[in-house]
Amino acid sequence: MLSKLAIRNMKRSARDYLVYLLTMTLISALLYTFNSLLFQNELKQYWNTEDMLELMVFLATLFIVFVTAWLISYMVRFMMEKRSREFGIYLLLGMKKRTIARLYLRENILSGAIALLLGMLFGTLFRQVLMAILFSMLKMTYRLHISFHPGTFLMTAFCFGLCYLLSLSRCQKKFRKMNIHDLMETARKNEEIRERHESAKKLLLPLSVLFILAFWALFGSLQSNGEVALFLIGLVITIYLFYIGLSAHMICYIRKRGNLIYRGQNLFLMRQFSAKIRTMQFTMGTLTVLFTLALMGSSIALMFSTWQNTLLDHKFPFDILLYSPDPEDTFEKEIQFLEKQVTALDIYPYRLYTDGDNQVNTWMLTHLNAWGTMYQMPDGSADMAKIEDFLENRNVYYPYDTYMGISDYNHLRRMLGYEEIDLGDTEYAIQIKPRLEQEVQTIGEDLKLAGVFDTSPSGADLNPAGISDTSLSGAELNPAGIYDAPFGEDPASRASLLSFTGIYADPFSQDGHNGADYLIIVPDEVLSRMRPYQSELAMDIEGTAPPRLRNELDTLRNAGAEDTQSDDLYSCFVLPCNGSDILINSGTPNEVKDNHRAALTYMLASLMIPLFYIGLVFLCVAVTVLSVQQLSDAAAYRFRYDVLSKLGLKESELHGLIFKQLAAFYLCPALFAILISGKMMLFAGDSFVIATGVPVSAGSFFLKSIALFFGIYLVYFAVTYVCFQRNIRGRI
Amino acid sequence: MNSYIRICDIEKYYGNASHVTKAIDRLTFTVKKGEFMGVMGPSGSGKTTLLNLLSTIDRVSAGHIFYEDTDITALSEDDLAEFRKNNLGFVFQEYNLLDTLTIEENISLALTLQGNSKKSILETTAKLLKLLDIEEIRGKFPYQVSGGQKQRCACARALACDPKLLLADEPTGALDSLSSQTLLETFTKLNQTLGTTILMVTHDAFCASYCSRILFLRDGKIFHELLRADRSRQLFLQDILDVLSFTGGKTTENP
Repeated sequence: MLSKLAIRNMKRSARDYLVYLLTMTLISALLYTFNSLLFQNELKQYWNTEDMLELMVFLATLFIVFVTAWLISYMVRFMMEKRSREFGIYLLLGMKKRTIARLYLRENILSGAIALLLGMLFGTLFRQVLMAILFSMLKMTYRLHISFHPGTFLMTAFCFGLCYLLSLSRCQKKFRKMNIHDLMETARKNEEIRERHESAKKLLLPLSVLFILAFWALFGSLQSNGEVALFLIGLVITIYLFYIGLSAHMICYIRKRGNLIYRGQNLFLMRQFSAKIRTMQFTMGTLTVLFTLALMGSSIALMFSTWQNTLLDHKFPFDILLYSPDPEDTFEKEIQFLEKQVTALDIYPYRLYTDGDNQVNTWMLTHLNAWGTMYQMPDGSADMAKIEDFLENRNVYYPYDTYMGISDYNHLRRMLGYEEIDLGDTEYAIQIKPRLEQEVQTIGEDLKLAGVFDTSPSGADLNPAGISDTSLSGAELNPAGIYDAPFGEDPASRASLLSFTGIYADPFSQDGHNGADYLIIVPDEVLSRMRPYQSELAMDIEGTAPPRLRNELDTLRNAGAEDTQSDDLYSCFVLPCNGSDILINSGTPNEVKDNHRAALTYMLASLMIPLFYIGLVFLCVAVTVLSVQQLSDAAAYRFRYDVLSKLGLKESELHGLIFKQLAAFYLCPALFAILISGKMMLFAGDSFVIATGVPVSAGSFFLKSIALFFGIYLVYFAVTYVCFQRNIRGRI
Repeated sequence: MNSYIRICDIEKYYGNASHVTKAIDRLTFTVKKGEFMGVMGPSGSGKTTLLNLLSTIDRVSAGHIFYEDTDITALSEDDLAEFRKNNLGFVFQEYNLLDTLTIEENISLALTLQGNSKKSILETTAKLLKLLDIEEIRGKFPYQVSGGQKQRCACARALACDPKLLLADEPTGALDSLSSQTLLETFTKLNQTLGTTILMVTHDAFCASYCSRILFLRDGKIFHELLRADRSRQLFLQDILDVLSFTGGKTTENP
């Protein structure tokens, strides 16, 4: 008998709370899909060392379990209140509290089980979509095949069960405390509108608005983590207080008989809205927090996705690129090894040089957006003390400017399929990362780079034979008899200056390999006065590299380094510096294009997918609460609209009124969330664009995520609107 | 008094082809301007159906209803809504007040919907609050006041737009005897001082005794008609009770 009743009640609830059930099904489908990454990750065979995706998915699942538990407990409590009269009648008929509790529990478990099973069914399909997306991101082909893993089933059921357990345990307590009178009265109490201390509460609205304004004005300039934390706590409190203030403000306005209420159906709308917000002000705050998190999650995910779509292909222009801190390294061992692994089309070892100066580094640190005014004195000149400290202690730029000879440069350009460049004997060019091209347009005007040393007798520090006099200048002759300028001395004083010819911004692997951010390209003769700084080996290969080539190269070179006890300043396995790409750092000493591209994509996917996942679930949970709130009050609304119809409101006006009422209720928390997350996301987007150079505007991530957000929002809104119309209009 | 509302040969059927219920069966009568008319009859006699037809909430199956020269059976849905807004006032057993609005707001909403100016809305509302003696509770919500007060608020709202006809469906059904009496006295006052035309459907003979004319319905037809004329209310009540003893209607005597 009890089972029959439970099934019948469940069916009725399913009709009233369709949106809730759909969301639970969706959540269970998503849980299943992402849990399958923990147990059935077909990509794992390629990256058995990368556990990041699993870890992130696990963390995301944890968040989602808590939010889902909140949704269930909210719904369970909500449905209980709505049905309190019915429970009262059960008690009146002599049913025991324990029996009623069990009946209610049974109904919830039954609907949960249906959502879980349906969800898992959809989840198997979603999984195929997710795997197809992941594979296509990694430029691999995915063959559709349905597979099952007991782990995925159990994990999903466990998570889902946990959500129910967390929420239903509280409801048992409620049942134990209830009595018939309270149950019968609950329904009536729900409709009571308490208005107390409204004029005091009203002040909360301007206060919250002020705080939000302050937040917009000051967020970008917050210095310490403490300040940021303080502001965020303030923000959360503001979110909750805002709704109390908003509803009080409206109530006061209506009481004051403001002009607006005497226009059209405003009075009805404002009263409906303020009453609804008043009764669920805490929930509205929580929904706003969820919306904010969803927007932020998807914005950040979009940042990484944009980076991947626009810049990843530029990151690794060379098929294989090896770094060695030893300028004399000829890469014999590596070439021998690589020739066995791949078919080489071109193998080219070369060296980078330095003149011991800091001119270009200083220019970069004082002119690039990434550094702002951090390394400038108040008058705009370079703060040399800070810059020297930075170059010495931070692995961003090489301690000295980096140069490359034109013949090496043109060889590498040929290898990459770029056009060769012409450079006169007294000229230099700059090779820069594509993203910095616009920022360095004026660099040629400021640099004074020396050409070949003047060997005429007038050269102050040179002896008559044209060889430097060490006792006078501190310069040295290297074993090859090449003149090395003393580091730190201005070479311009000794040589004629080179003239600037242009900037080249083709992708050139400048995260530490071919310079950090920039390279100065000079005629080969100029290199004669410089010191070789590091060796590189570039390789062009036929087809794609084997999936684990990079790991094998690491192992090979690691073993080599241990043998030779390489110098402690730089090791073979860490690039000394990475340039200004501080956010997504792709520099690695043994670069194998095909391996790295995929590894980086996989890493980005590990961030993006859980963020989207969290964003989606949070959004759905929040919109479900909004929908259910509206739909479950159908009886009350039906009555109100019935009265309005009797008062002479036309059908079309009623439709418009319903739309306005729903739209206000739906838009309020969404717009508020946009207002709050907007500042943070614009700031983050700005920093992201500066740090990575993605060729989009800072606001685009946020705008796109708002578009995504409203896409899903609209679906829920449309469903709610249609159901609402059906509930209301069906019976007038 | 001229015929103000003419009900001409109306019929109303419910159900489908296999099972038809005739709720109103060729009913014809007129209501004069300023009349306080009662409609009585046992359950299922068609009282509420008649009220619904008159109040444009439901449509006739056949026949015509004229308000002065307007045939409401020929109006479109939107025109009916407009008609309702400008010509009819309702008082129901369940008050039908909006629970999210205060007493005063419930009254001013009806005026706002008519597109009146703020000034005239405030004036009319104040006048009605005074007339129905609910000034003290103007800022309260319906759940905070008594049933009688709620019903007087509903009355005020119904009168707000100066309706051609005030329709009341069992207005005292949910009230205690004292509140019922106050409300009915209010109706009488409105009828006599403002000349409001009232059509009230009721089960209750005591309630009906305040009317000037009563139609008795049975099976959708007029079964009897009583005119109060110059008789005292007590005598009229006795006559009503006599008629009801034939039809089986509900009788309650009030002290």
